[in-house]
Amino acid sequence: MAAVTIDSLLQNPTLLFRPKAKVMLKPPRSLDCSRNRKLPLSRGSCFCSFNPRRTIHVVRASSSETALIGNFDTSSSDDIFYKDIFPVKRIEKVEGKFFIRLDRSKDQHDWQLTVGCSLPGKWILHWGVSYLGDSGSEWDQPPKGMRPPGSIPIKDYAIETPLKKLSEGDIFHEVKIDFNPSSEIAAIHFVLKDEETGAWYQHRGMDFKVPLVDYLEDDGNTVGAKRGFGVLSGALQQFSNVLLKSEASHADSQNNSIESKDSKNKNRCLEGFYEEQSIVKEVSVGNLVSVAVRKSPETGKVIVCLETDIPGDVVVHWGVCRDDAKIWEIPAAPYPPETTVFKNKALRTLLQPKATGNRSGALFTLDEEHFGFLFVLKLDDNTWLKFKENDFYVPLLGTSSVPGQYGQSDITTEEISSKSYTDGIINEIRNLVSGLSSEKSQKTKTKEVQESILQEIEQLAAEAYSIFRSSITTVPEEVVSETETTKPAVKISSGTGTGFEILCQGFNWESHKSGRWYMELKEKASEISSLGFTVIWLPPPTESVSPEGYMPKDLYNLNSRYGTIAELKELVKSLHEVGMKVLGDVVLNHRCAHFKNQNGVWNIFGGRLNWDDRAVVADDPHFQGRGNKSSGDNFHAAPNIDHSQEFVRKDLKEWLGWLREEIGYDGWRLDFVRGFWGGYVKDYLEASEPYFAVGEYWDSLSYTYGEMDHNQDSHRQRIVDWINATNGTAGAFDVTTKGILHSALERCEYWRLSDKKGKPPGVVGWWPSRAVTFIENHDTGSTQGHWRFPGGKEMQGYAYILTHPGTPAVFYDHIFSHHRSEIANLISVRNRNGIHCRSLVKIVKAERDVYAAIIDEKVAMKIGPGYYEPPSGSQRWSLALEGRDYKVWETS
Amino acid sequence: MEVSVIRSCSQATNLKTELGFKDSRFSFGKFNEKLFFRKPNSVSFQSPLRRGKSGLRITAQAAQSDPLPKSKSSTKSKTLNRVRLFAGLPLDVVSGGTVNQFRAISAGLKALKLLGLEGVELPIWWGVVEHESMGKYDWSGYLTIAEMVRKAGLKLHVTLCFHASSQPKIPLPEWVLDIGKTKSNIFFKDRAGKPYRGCLSLAVDELAVLNGKTPMQVYQDFCESFKSAFSAFIGSTIMGITMGLGPDGELRYPSHRGFAKSDTVPGAGEFQCYDKNMLHLLKQHAEACGKPKWGLGGPHDAPANSELPTANTFFKDHGGSWESPYGDFFLSWYSSQLIAHGDRLLSLASSVFSDSAVNIFGKVPLMHSWHGTRSHPSELTAGFYNTATRKGYEEVAEMFARNSCKIILPGMDQSDKYQLKESLSSPESLLAEIGTACNKHGVGISGQNSTVGAPDGLKQIKKNMLSENLNDSFIFQRIGAQFFAPEHFPLFIEFVRKLNQPELHSGNLPTKEGTTTATDSVHTRSNLSIHMQSA
Repeated sequence: MAAVTIDSLLQNPTLLFRPKAKVMLKPPRSLDCSRNRKLPLSRGSCFCSFNPRRTIHVVRASSSETALIGNFDTSSSDDIFYKDIFPVKRIEKVEGKFFIRLDRSKDQHDWQLTVGCSLPGKWILHWGVSYLGDSGSEWDQPPKGMRPPGSIPIKDYAIETPLKKLSEGDIFHEVKIDFNPSSEIAAIHFVLKDEETGAWYQHRGMDFKVPLVDYLEDDGNTVGAKRGFGVLSGALQQFSNVLLKSEASHADSQNNSIESKDSKNKNRCLEGFYEEQSIVKEVSVGNLVSVAVRKSPETGKVIVCLETDIPGDVVVHWGVCRDDAKIWEIPAAPYPPETTVFKNKALRTLLQPKATGNRSGALFTLDEEHFGFLFVLKLDDNTWLKFKENDFYVPLLGTSSVPGQYGQSDITTEEISSKSYTDGIINEIRNLVSGLSSEKSQKTKTKEVQESILQEIEQLAAEAYSIFRSSITTVPEEVVSETETTKPAVKISSGTGTGFEILCQGFNWESHKSGRWYMELKEKASEISSLGFTVIWLPPPTESVSPEGYMPKDLYNLNSRYGTIAELKELVKSLHEVGMKVLGDVVLNHRCAHFKNQNGVWNIFGGRLNWDDRAVVADDPHFQGRGNKSSGDNFHAAPNIDHSQEFVRKDLKEWLGWLREEIGYDGWRLDFVRGFWGGYVKDYLEASEPYFAVGEYWDSLSYTYGEMDHNQDSHRQRIVDWINATNGTAGAFDVTTKGILHSALERCEYWRLSDKKGKPPGVVGWWPSRAVTFIENHDTGSTQGHWRFPGGKEMQGYAYILTHPGTPAVFYDHIFSHHRSEIANLISVRNRNGIHCRSLVKIVKAERDVYAAIIDEKVAMKIGPGYYEPPSGSQRWSLALEGRDYKVWETS
Repeated sequence: MEVSVIRSCSQATNLKTELGFKDSRFSFGKFNEKLFFRKPNSVSFQSPLRRGKSGLRITAQAAQSDPLPKSKSSTKSKTLNRVRLFAGLPLDVVSGGTVNQFRAISAGLKALKLLGLEGVELPIWWGVVEHESMGKYDWSGYLTIAEMVRKAGLKLHVTLCFHASSQPKIPLPEWVLDIGKTKSNIFFKDRAGKPYRGCLSLAVDELAVLNGKTPMQVYQDFCESFKSAFSAFIGSTIMGITMGLGPDGELRYPSHRGFAKSDTVPGAGEFQCYDKNMLHLLKQHAEACGKPKWGLGGPHDAPANSELPTANTFFKDHGGSWESPYGDFFLSWYSSQLIAHGDRLLSLASSVFSDSAVNIFGKVPLMHSWHGTRSHPSELTAGFYNTATRKGYEEVAEMFARNSCKIILPGMDQSDKYQLKESLSSPESLLAEIGTACNKHGVGISGQNSTVGAPDGLKQIKKNMLSENLNDSFIFQRIGAQFFAPEHFPLFIEFVRKLNQPELHSGNLPTKEGTTTATDSVHTRSNLSIHMQSA
């Protein structure tokens, strides 16, 4: 199972090139084994797949196949009554090199970190930086200037940059990162990812770290200790120290130059280095096993000739059988050379290398009466090669038949082999059942596995569904019209509430600062309610490593920077009293650990939910989880919870139930739901039965490239897919609409607000009842402001979302600002006209400088500097509201 | 039905996946909810593997204590009332030589495999494969599918479609349509002379109308080419082939053009004997019967396509022309033409695939509207001379039996109570009628649901699957967005899981005496599962 083997050359600073023991890295993508973990796989063995090729094929065998069995043909080919070639797949380890080089770039000012890899593959450098003064192991995104072309930001903590061959002839795929040594960057961290296999190549389960700054006064031990980041980084650090000592003599050599610079009392001291390691990748290789059977005219014996081009020692385990049941028996001698009897059940023969080519083979002489010849192959790396998970089977009773009949006899064979396989399972089951301590435990296990397979089925179905559906673009609308419009609007579901909800985000990024936010908000409860809001979203309530609450630790500890649990209860009570529903902000994707594991990695939890590392997904390079691989994207700052674990889900459901009961939350705002499969969300929501739930499916990628596409269907499709995966039990923030509003308003491109079908271009155009529209939140605006709504145009944004279908959400900062009365007026127009999440919108104008729409034929609106007046037809429109670049009318 | 769930490894290129991939099998219900693991790397029996502290030896070879049923030696064995479940692939899964929605299909196949389905049904279109010119076949897209299916560890049921599809639009081959432009009499025509371009008229089966070849020859070449292109799959992955027999692949005349919506009462349909060649055959037949005047055209008092049966006198319950000697003459001829056409095609298929281990199927429609009248107008216009006084499906079943073919019956999801009362429709009793005829002649029945869908359809399908009306397989139509939609797919999972529940509660073998068919692998596998139960 080793994914990577790395010769760590730098473990000992004094002996630069002393070869060391191989370091086995834990592959993060151990995939589904964990579901099977009660029956752990034995190491070194592997599963091989086969493409059975029908005998018929031999007739028109390709040249290579002919070559392989060529020697059969030369020897009395007339006697051959059976020939078959089985293509087999096995795994071969390919070794290559992987290097890290730090040196000055050509202009001698900047430095350059180069990472290269000589193995074929689609290599991605997944990297980030840490800054001076940072503590802990979190990464940050590097400054823009440092990112090579083609880099893609992964949320706000990392960058992915593909490795490229500089020219066709190059052996290495490389990536070069230029940086200015005088910046505040303390270190570059990275792991290597192979997109083809999805494997992470890391250093002992941790990232590689290249320190860019040295603390001269702390020189020596403290450095290594401070950077508790594993051998490599420590070693590199020491490595540069070593060179530093002899620096005088190398001062001019290009790779060993030093640059010192004052930086906050610390001296920067950069050393170039070049570091090469070997890397091993497993690739699947196709080989052929050919079998021919002929009858010796002289002796009347049957001769089975087996040959393969698999390199290395190949041992064939073989036997014969009497009938269809294929029960192995040991035939009478003689046996080929190098044959031993194996546990009285089979014979083992080492295939002998052939004189020509890299092939090996053996001849088996058997008596005529045997029904069939059975075998499996064992390779020198302990891999077993079998035929469709069964034994290879060669019929021997064919001496009298003509080759043309093989097609049929073969089919029978296959059916039977599948049966004998089933029988094999029966046996296994019997053994398993009899070996289990109690029937009861068996049942629970069965249930668990059934559940997990069901979940896998659902996941696959969801995938198939989303692709099928996206190729039929009309379907989303149909879904909307069928399932939405026909439903009575008063029906309450967790995806929509009553359908007439207006959401208030009741905090911003600074709310934790006072330490008594709950009490402050309580005073505003009736005020917020009087503005027309029906639902309020409170900040994350749990104990958290970060003050804002999004790095939860002990889920049952609800004393946070926002106030105590008692204050929270009091606040919820007050909010209920003024008729508002309360959403708790729950972070289910990740959780900060209380303790380190034996490798010093934080992945053991404490508190009431004292999970161990089985609750952590296995494919995050930072946190050595022993769970399954993540069902979504990873959030790298904290251990990502493995929701496929039943105990995790059970605990989380209990927790949500507790929050509902103990605190009185009515529903949820679900943080970072991209990190896990929506089907789990459905599970949680069904268990906690919220009044309203909305997920943050944040897809930032679509907004990273300068020009935005008019068509954002793929973006909204991903959000719709997530909603679908939750079975519509949750709504989702309509990030697409926000993004399009940005472009439309900022660049005066109001035409963007109509998709090619004349519908709103965001999620709200496809699945309005599940779209929670917003223009700003604590992340995008507030003091973080990483994606702030175009300044001065907020009211246009609100004029849009508060008149349109979907469930609008208004950000706290906007409510308590000079926009307040305008927002209140828009809300009252919405409520007065009964606009709800499924209202029908008719876009009447989507031009460069103006967008206008009529909603439910009751409200007309326009945004943008351009001119629009509603038609003076049968309906009489009267202006209800007017503001900077927006107008709203209602029918009178 | 075998409902073992097998996790397959389809990504041979990604070994890491395979390394970690487990191959656990479990059953939904059938094996008393016990769990069966099989490790992908579990070795053959001579290399026992120790598992944990239990020290169990897992052997993966045939069970010695349970000798296998001899599937070869006995050609007749009791059929357990178990039905293999298939799901149909999208009609347009291949177009222009490429597989559409490849990723969705491959995810879908995995899901179906995990769910324990036996396989999938693949419609192969004449208009796609032999699109450009006669004799030029492009099987590439379909071969890709076959390979995907094989890799997924599923079986394949192929439907050879010699007809066109309106939704999605898959017309007949271009060169055939070109010929039809000048010779519209290769198509069926209604009384108004309007040709039906969805398939060729059965009257030209043996006429050299296609560039000097007869349609039968063209169909045969197509089948032969299919056979050689798929030789690696036939008998191993491909276990069944449905021969297209007419409109929508069904053995019938295109009597109901432009099917009405489900909420409107369907018309009686219209006789389709008005193309030049049909009229010619009718004339010959009438003259041979000594009634030359009966051969000048179809019944003059039959209603038009969308008219109600009562719109004219032919189908009148009492005293309608259908009961007159003329009516008998016409209906006998009309239906025998259809049966002869079915016979030609099925015997063609049987002979082409005679040396392959596949079952040949043909589809018979369920013309259930107006079944409550005495004359059964919908059946009569479609070509089935089945009335209150005449058992018309006997001849059909006999023809299938003669060719050793199995029958596919659609509409298994339709139940009487959801039919429009005005249409006097009864899918259930019609199904039972056909089922009886088939059982009498030993014709295996495979079921399908109607493409339009029906309320409580899955419930009705389950009912049929556990009844005598169905004894071979069921092909669920069809995979696609709707199939995997959150509104539907969970129901389907539930449906599959519940299929085996009756056996959960009965300790005895769910054997039913009476029905016998040729043994195939299914039956022996069914036996195996019984071993498990009793073990």
